[in-house]
Amino acid sequence: MITIIDLEKYYATEEVRTIALNKLSFKVREGEFVAIMGPSGCGKSTLLNILGLLDDPDGGSFIFNDIEVAGFNERKRAELRKHNIGFVFQSFNLIDELTVFENVELPLIYTGVKAAERKERVDAVLEKMGIMHRRKHFPQQLSGGQQQRVAVARAVVNNPKLILADEPTGNLDSSNGNEVMDLLTELNEAGTTIIMVTHSEHDAKYSHRIIRMLDGQKVTENILADYKSSVAP
Amino acid sequence: MPDLTGFHPDSYRDCEVYQSKIKKRAIMFRNHIKIAFRSLKNQPFFTLINTFGLAIGMAGSLLIGLYIYDELSYDKMFADAGRIYRIDMDIKFGGAEIKSAETAPPMAAALQRDFAEVENTVRFRILGSNLFRSSDKSANIKELSTTYVDATFFDMFGLELIDGNKETALKEANTLVMTRTAAENHFGSINVVGKSLLLNNEDTYVVTGVMEDLPKNSFLKDYSIFMAMAGNVASRENIWGSNNYFTFVKVLPATRMDHFQLQLDGLLEKYILPWAQKTFPGMTAASFAASGNYIRYHTIPLTNIHLHSDNQIEMGEKGTIQNVYILSFIGFFLIFLACVNFMNLSTAHSLKRAKEVGIRKTLGSNRIQLIVQFLTESSLISFASMILAVIVAFIALPFFNDLAGRTISIPFTEPLFYVAILLFTMVLGLFSGSYPAFVISRFIPVETLKGNGFKNGSKWNIRSMLVVFQFGIAVFLIVGTLVIFQQLQFIQNKDLGYSKEQVLVISDSYAAGQQVNAFKHEVLSLSAVKSATLSSFMPIASARSNSSFFREDAMDQKFAIQMQTWDVDHDYMKTFGMELIAGRGFNNQSVADSTATIINESTLTTLGLSAQEALGKRITEDVELGKPVFYRIIGVIKDFHYESLREDIGALGLFLNKSTGSMAVKLQTDDFASAISSIENIWNEQAPGQPFNYRFMDDAFDTSYNEERRLGNIFIVFTSLSIFIACLGLFGLAAFNAQKRTKEIGVRKVLGASVSQITFGLTTDFLKLVAIATAIALPLGWFVMNIWLQDFSYRIQISWEILAFAAFLVILIAILTVSYQSIKAAIANPVKSLKTE
Repeated sequence: MITIIDLEKYYATEEVRTIALNKLSFKVREGEFVAIMGPSGCGKSTLLNILGLLDDPDGGSFIFNDIEVAGFNERKRAELRKHNIGFVFQSFNLIDELTVFENVELPLIYTGVKAAERKERVDAVLEKMGIMHRRKHFPQQLSGGQQQRVAVARAVVNNPKLILADEPTGNLDSSNGNEVMDLLTELNEAGTTIIMVTHSEHDAKYSHRIIRMLDGQKVTENILADYKSSVAP
Repeated sequence: MPDLTGFHPDSYRDCEVYQSKIKKRAIMFRNHIKIAFRSLKNQPFFTLINTFGLAIGMAGSLLIGLYIYDELSYDKMFADAGRIYRIDMDIKFGGAEIKSAETAPPMAAALQRDFAEVENTVRFRILGSNLFRSSDKSANIKELSTTYVDATFFDMFGLELIDGNKETALKEANTLVMTRTAAENHFGSINVVGKSLLLNNEDTYVVTGVMEDLPKNSFLKDYSIFMAMAGNVASRENIWGSNNYFTFVKVLPATRMDHFQLQLDGLLEKYILPWAQKTFPGMTAASFAASGNYIRYHTIPLTNIHLHSDNQIEMGEKGTIQNVYILSFIGFFLIFLACVNFMNLSTAHSLKRAKEVGIRKTLGSNRIQLIVQFLTESSLISFASMILAVIVAFIALPFFNDLAGRTISIPFTEPLFYVAILLFTMVLGLFSGSYPAFVISRFIPVETLKGNGFKNGSKWNIRSMLVVFQFGIAVFLIVGTLVIFQQLQFIQNKDLGYSKEQVLVISDSYAAGQQVNAFKHEVLSLSAVKSATLSSFMPIASARSNSSFFREDAMDQKFAIQMQTWDVDHDYMKTFGMELIAGRGFNNQSVADSTATIINESTLTTLGLSAQEALGKRITEDVELGKPVFYRIIGVIKDFHYESLREDIGALGLFLNKSTGSMAVKLQTDDFASAISSIENIWNEQAPGQPFNYRFMDDAFDTSYNEERRLGNIFIVFTSLSIFIACLGLFGLAAFNAQKRTKEIGVRKVLGASVSQITFGLTTDFLKLVAIATAIALPLGWFVMNIWLQDFSYRIQISWEILAFAAFLVILIAILTVSYQSIKAAIANPVKSLKTE
């Protein structure tokens, strides 16, 4: 599904040029659950931004669903993004002024889904995430775990093929964190590809494969023992 | 030993504590100033916009303030101004209602004789413009405003002479007092007492005094020559029916004006009825009142004349209190808009400083200190703005004077001016800094350090309301401007019933004396000239009086007709292209036509006759003096506008009489310059040494709407200013909003929103506010401008197009202002905005 070859990204200030990604290459197959780990500043977030088509690499190749997308302009990336990719952030990034329902509805508005169908699909996904009773609440009125469920609901409402999760449990206590990880696992089992950046070895164990990074490069890659039998605790 | 009471070690320590407190405060203050300077320096764009916006607003209101101060100061400089009143009169006679500032010649004497509380009186009998020359010169100089005045003039207004004796000046007939400027114009010197001047080439006057030019903010500002009333024969006549004298009275201190009024009411019975009975035997107060007529005298304080008089004719150009109100309104809102801007921009800017506030609070700064710090900053900006504003106002003043038709100056030598300005600056600084300081100091340190800024709950916050308010004002002012200009346009294009195009008016043609007919004759022989007419009566607003006329078959005062009588020659109607609707014009060969008249349509209405019925009827003037002269109506002329369009067209009769005040020339060429120079050559032959003054009829017509034109121009300038300031504010708020919603915009973009969707969303948020403002301000503007239009008898209807255009304009401006920030926010990379975690 995703193939990156020799991916490069630099950040330049007036005096210093920082290398964020240094000829990084790997593949992710459809249906995989991949965790990316590494210390702060190793380039994880940069990688995720590029994978999420939010940012453009400075060099190398990025093939998404058999299409070379490196060098795509903003408009093309946005088009591809809104139909294929869902995001889950550490800080949830819900819009405070919108209700739970409206937050989840947002991606459907931008992909041009009709109002009646939007309601149906939002309701369905809220039901599935177990937050239907909160649909009229505003984000501040919810607990962290509930907010992240809304964020996950928003990420999947468009039935994306790929979910990118940036430390999805970072702002949650362990029991809420586990719930969210269970949710992601369920989604993965239903066929959604997931790429997750995390600091937590515990969370990484939910995945099939862990890619460890340092200074913009891949250091190791371990395939977890129970991959294929594939049932996480 | 000296007593050292109060110098105990304890109090010494107190003193030390106190001193260190002061020291601490001083350090704190220095720190505030330092930080303020640096933070302003670090944000040059913000500081510039803020200072500039505030300065523009301040400069605008400073100019308006000076203008209003000038308007309100009229006639207050005269000694005892508070005790001086003028006797005004409301009169209804023969269907015409007149508000007059002029009363009868014996009024002053009657007041002096009968009223115990009268200290002094003075009368003016206005002569208008006249030609003067010193006896050793042949060339005349025209003085525009001259008047007869009683010798009590100097005592009345506390005026001094720079040359001459004010006790004796103006006592004798044929003496005059002139202003410094007039003296210099005629003699090149101010020591001219004893010299003589020739008035209109005929009468010799001796100069008995020279006075300083009269204050620019007084009702006498235009007057340059004052002639002794003793030379005016009519001033001594006991005629209560002719009202040509501006009569002022100074009352004793503590006079009760309500008692004074009661005595004034008694004048009707005491003087006017006995006088009127000579003409109308048997007339009583009851029968007079029963006929629906009235004469009511009342007083107006000297200091109210300039702004509050509603008389048709005044001694000088008058202002109106409405304009003062309108300008106060504009001035106040201009400064208010500027403050609102300042608040909006400062609050927007403060987001960037949230972190600084967080750190300060963490380090132990309390809220008061923060507030003081931000107020220091706003005061600094306010102060800088004021310096800039005074400079801007100083540069703009000549243009403003031109616009407003005033000669205002900035009172740099007045200490009070500086005090007022400093106070104003401080209040403004504190006021506009208050809201931002309040908001910023409320930041919660933990939140701001995390970079979350502050949360903003409701959408309907103060800033939004301020924007609605700002744009409401802008819309209102746009409507006002459009209406004023459309009304002026309407006046200019209105069919006046005569043609004012290509008509040259040569004023003071009487100066040619006996040669005036030859002059006219020769001018007529020019090929560029179509027609020419001699008359003192031109169809533009000017000081003229009514006379009472009676139909031959109804010589009863009940049927009196008030009408203007114009002496014209037989070419008058032809020259002005006036239309007859019945009968014929004058024939200068016919002796009978010297007792003929041509009346206008309005006179028909008062007579109650149709045009055909009126022909051949005879009318006569007030029958008081001997046997009446009857005038036969030989023609009826279509109504034409001879007064301002503020007035209805009144009754008017044309009479064939020699009257050589002006000559109107209808040209039939486009080469005005050579036509004028040909006419001037003829003038110089026929009237050597006399000034050749001319103007075009349409220009003269336009000048009679100067007050409206000024108001229009002032409106345009200040409307533009307020729109500009409102746009600065909107720009600031758009920046603020975009900043506040950075995260939200980022999220939306990640979820697939396009740039145009986001730009549209951000822009419509503001357009909603502007639309609300428009919805409120349009009906208000419509309402207020309709009141303004009531002043005109002939006026436009405020069309929906005007309102639509105002709305369109303001929305367009708002879109242009907001879209920059919206687009900037929309194209920003979401990765960056979401990274600020």
